[in-house]
Amino acid sequence: MGETILVAENICKSFGITKAVRDVSMTFARGEIHGLIGENGSGKSTFVSMLCGIHSIDSGRFLLNGEELHVKNQVEANDKGVSIIVQEMGTLSGLTVAENIFLGREDRFVKYGIKNTTAMNREAARLLDKYGFGHIDAAAMIDHYHFEDRKLIEIVKATYFDPQIVVIDETTTALSQNGREELYKHMKRIRDEGKTIIFISHDLTEVIEFTDNISVLRDGSYIDTVKSSDASEDELKRLMVGREIASKYYRTDYGEPVSGETVLSVQGVSVPERINGISFELYKGEILGFGGLSECGMHEVGKAIFGASYDRTGSVTLADGTKIDSIPTAIRHSIAYASKDRDNESIIIYDSIRDNIILPSINDLAEKRILRKKKLNEFANRYAKLISVKMTGVDQFVSNLSGGNKQKVVLARWIGRDSDIIVLDSPTRGIDVKVKADIYALMSELKAKGKSIIMISEEIQELLGMCDRIIIMKNGVINGEFKRDERLSEEDLIAKMV
Amino acid sequence: MSIGKRLNELKKNELFGRFYGIMLLLLLAVFFWAVFKILTPDNFGTLEKTYYYLQSSIIYSVGACGFYFIVVMGLFDFSIGANVVLSAIIGVTLSKQFGYPGLLIGAVLCGLAIGLCNGVIYAKLRIPSMIVTVGLMLIFECVAYFASGGEKQSLDPSLQFFGHAPGNMILALIAFLLTFFILKYTKIGTYCYAIGSDEYVAKNMGINVNKYKILGFVLLHGFVGIMAVLSVSFGTSMTALTGMATMSRNFTPLMGTFFGLAFRKYGTPVTAMVIGEFIISIIFNGFIALGAPTTIQNVVTGAALLLIVAITTKPAKGAVVK
Amino acid sequence: MTEKTIVEEKITLMKVKHILSNSRLRDLLPLFGLIIIVAVFAVMTDMSIIEARSINLILSQVYVLMIASTGVFLVMTIGGLDFSQGSILGISSIVISYLSFYSIPLAVIAGILAGALIGACNGFFHVKFKIPSFIVTICTMYLFRGLCAYMTTDAPVAAKITITELNLTWLKISLTVAVLLIVYFIFTFTKLGTCLKAIGAGETAARFSGIRTNLTKFLIFTAAGAITGFAAFLNVIKVGSITATAGNQLETMILIALVLGGLPISGGARVRFSNIVIGTLIYCVLNNGLVMLGYDTAIQQFIKGTIFLIVVALTIDKKSLHIIK
Repeated sequence: MGETILVAENICKSFGITKAVRDVSMTFARGEIHGLIGENGSGKSTFVSMLCGIHSIDSGRFLLNGEELHVKNQVEANDKGVSIIVQEMGTLSGLTVAENIFLGREDRFVKYGIKNTTAMNREAARLLDKYGFGHIDAAAMIDHYHFEDRKLIEIVKATYFDPQIVVIDETTTALSQNGREELYKHMKRIRDEGKTIIFISHDLTEVIEFTDNISVLRDGSYIDTVKSSDASEDELKRLMVGREIASKYYRTDYGEPVSGETVLSVQGVSVPERINGISFELYKGEILGFGGLSECGMHEVGKAIFGASYDRTGSVTLADGTKIDSIPTAIRHSIAYASKDRDNESIIIYDSIRDNIILPSINDLAEKRILRKKKLNEFANRYAKLISVKMTGVDQFVSNLSGGNKQKVVLARWIGRDSDIIVLDSPTRGIDVKVKADIYALMSELKAKGKSIIMISEEIQELLGMCDRIIIMKNGVINGEFKRDERLSEEDLIAKMV
Repeated sequence: MSIGKRLNELKKNELFGRFYGIMLLLLLAVFFWAVFKILTPDNFGTLEKTYYYLQSSIIYSVGACGFYFIVVMGLFDFSIGANVVLSAIIGVTLSKQFGYPGLLIGAVLCGLAIGLCNGVIYAKLRIPSMIVTVGLMLIFECVAYFASGGEKQSLDPSLQFFGHAPGNMILALIAFLLTFFILKYTKIGTYCYAIGSDEYVAKNMGINVNKYKILGFVLLHGFVGIMAVLSVSFGTSMTALTGMATMSRNFTPLMGTFFGLAFRKYGTPVTAMVIGEFIISIIFNGFIALGAPTTIQNVVTGAALLLIVAITTKPAKGAVVK
Repeated sequence: MTEKTIVEEKITLMKVKHILSNSRLRDLLPLFGLIIIVAVFAVMTDMSIIEARSINLILSQVYVLMIASTGVFLVMTIGGLDFSQGSILGISSIVISYLSFYSIPLAVIAGILAGALIGACNGFFHVKFKIPSFIVTICTMYLFRGLCAYMTTDAPVAAKITITELNLTWLKISLTVAVLLIVYFIFTFTKLGTCLKAIGAGETAARFSGIRTNLTKFLIFTAAGAITGFAAFLNVIKVGSITATAGNQLETMILIALVLGGLPISGGARVRFSNIVIGTLIYCVLNNGLVMLGYDTAIQQFIKGTIFLIVVALTIDKKSLHIIK
């Protein structure tokens, strides 16, 4: 590890009223794999996206090799030697592999306006070979390759031009074990060549094993940097979460029995290419957790219960025998669903808070099919206030709210519906700690009222903290089940996930 | 592997994919030709007549090629028809003084200028392309009217080289080769697809999205300028009409574009557009040969296009289509 | 300029932008537009535009357009487009004309049904095959325009002669107002309006809220056809016989009228029922005003096109269109 290559000075960024990054200053050295960790909403992704030109900086600056870094987009960042492998899909459909690798930087293959496709393909093939990805055909359409191969192509795309700094943002969560091995291999190679890697991941074991130093962000602020060889998972968690909150964050009861009354019965549910033969029961007043890696299929289970899956086979039945096969049926029979894809599925962002809260209950709010505006406003106001949504009024569009408040509106609509079975998928993702605590408190309240909750989450801590039972899924099938217990640890769960 | 799976695997191979796509199109063409030949063997389908069907279709194929750049990016343009009229009139007017160069350069330059105008207004005003081109269509119709003084503009008989073989075929072929070349061998070809695929990511990759959208409009209308030359040479005259009369000219080229889009995955959009328009032309003329009134044409166009799009559109499950 | 004045200018500019982005004010903009246009033409035509005769003339063009726009308004609220309106008007008018010889009420019902059928066709192909609505409706426009032309090949289709006796202003006004009131009521006081706006604002999320989006979309296209089928009745009583060009370009006129009335192109939660009324009025006043000023048809169209572009540029809500296509 060598001298400092990158300095961040007082970086700040806000989105509307949400302060995503607050006055963060950090240093990174040459030849280092520097881990960056923090809970969801801690600001890590926003921080690196400013470095890479995806977002603009509100105030503060980055100094690369002593010079201030001014980049307006990813290609400019690349030119300065900074690149990023993003969390979501970073390649474009409809283009070939070679075109994707060189997107934005084709000029070296262009003479007099003509693109030398053959040369481009040849160079792409050479690079793919060099990286050990020879099984990928440079001239083929990228749509032929599945997500993991497309991520491998992204690795080539982000590093072939020898950038000085490579940011890897939560890439490993989406990769299989093989894919991860490939990634680690290249990470080490890049570090040994004297370059720097900023590695973001939720998997603390992986972070401790493969990084040299680890920095922690919490709620948008910089907390501390520790040496990986000295770090322990517990200490990292403490830094991430902050000790005062951890104890009263989740439920504190253990050993309370759950009623034996089944409210929902899932038998042999399968969705092609997603889940296979899922069967379980949900009991009254229970909080049932689902955990696993991103692609294990648990998110599809949530959809399947709600009647939102396509081509689902098997049965989802209520205690009274009603079969749940469609969303309207699910809602009518008191099932609620808060999707992981909040902005697209849980809530209509370009619509008012009122409309969002009343929609699932709209049939009941009508007297002889007629809706009265006053009644609707009352209804919306009541539930928005119940959960303390920070808003200027129910007419306000949801798009103007912060992530935490959006999620509160989502929950408000289902509480307004008084649903008995509530499926929550990643309910606290990207939400700041205070609102998280509110949501956990809400879940406990609902449980006390006899409602049943299914919580699907990629955050092992919250599963351990909140659930009566945890079902672990792997590769589309159920791979383990755990009962609530103080002695239950992350390792126990992870063992069944990978 | 079952036959179905094997076929799918093969389809991914570039060369086979192309072959498969073209064969499918040719089969369709032969099929429709055969249907009408059987129904009315005397009125339809002689070699000479079929050649004629082809010639009348390539005018629209050229327009379809231009349209393709725009539609791939997710944009639309209602002013194509107005462009054909305006560019044709400019071309004819200039041809009176400058002969063939006047006709060609006048029409194409006019087209390019319209394209630039559309592109810049679209980019500056930030109005959806569908809406802004409705307004522009109204305006261009009037400009054409003023330019021609409301009178019919006739092309001198000595200048009608592009109205029949081989002139029209040569010009059209140049247009097709140009489209193919641009799509495959220039940056704009790649960027058109990139912008259409995910505009936000493309922008992040440093692609100047606005610049390439404007370029797309310029290309579109440049090709429409060529289409105007072919059109006016074929019909020997052009009259400017207002009242949104040019709307009807927008849609026949659009049909070819849909063929191109549908067969894009086989890697042969240009060929698909050419053969596609040819198929439509066969169907038209088939009905006419059957003695159906010319009004039937529109019924056929509408039904054929609807069926083709219905069969070839395959959006992902749960995708939102407006 | 001193720094202070530059800063002051920036602040005023921000204040103006803030005012314009206030949604209440934005809703009133089209109304201001209407008042301004009437005022401008009143001045330019020496007040003759607000004489009873001119108002009558303007009104006579308003009925069909306003009724048909109501249906398209519903379609555009969910983010769709309907380019087949003109052809629907044509076919429905022909059906009404044929059946007018038997019984007028029957003819009207048949016209509505004919329109509903074409609308259902649109809805079916759009929903079942997931084809974008503008493509489907362009195809049906072509198809039924051709059919219309075919049915009027030899001669225009004449309705029963006495039908034009029904061309009474009070009847037309009452029918138009009736349609407006009924649709307004259903849109505002039943769950339909909220559901349509939800689908337009976020279709996936609307589906996850329990709205049957596919069924709703299908029904809305059918309804738009049916409403225009009814408008065809007002068309027939005015013209008495139908030619091949019946309803030509109606769909474009509707689009322009709704846009002038301030309707957001992608629909969603910011649509207002007033878009229909004010938009149609602006369009018709504009049309007639230009005619009264004696301008050449070409110049009239040029002015219309320019005004259209300016109005759209000023009133389009850019924030809700994150990516403009």
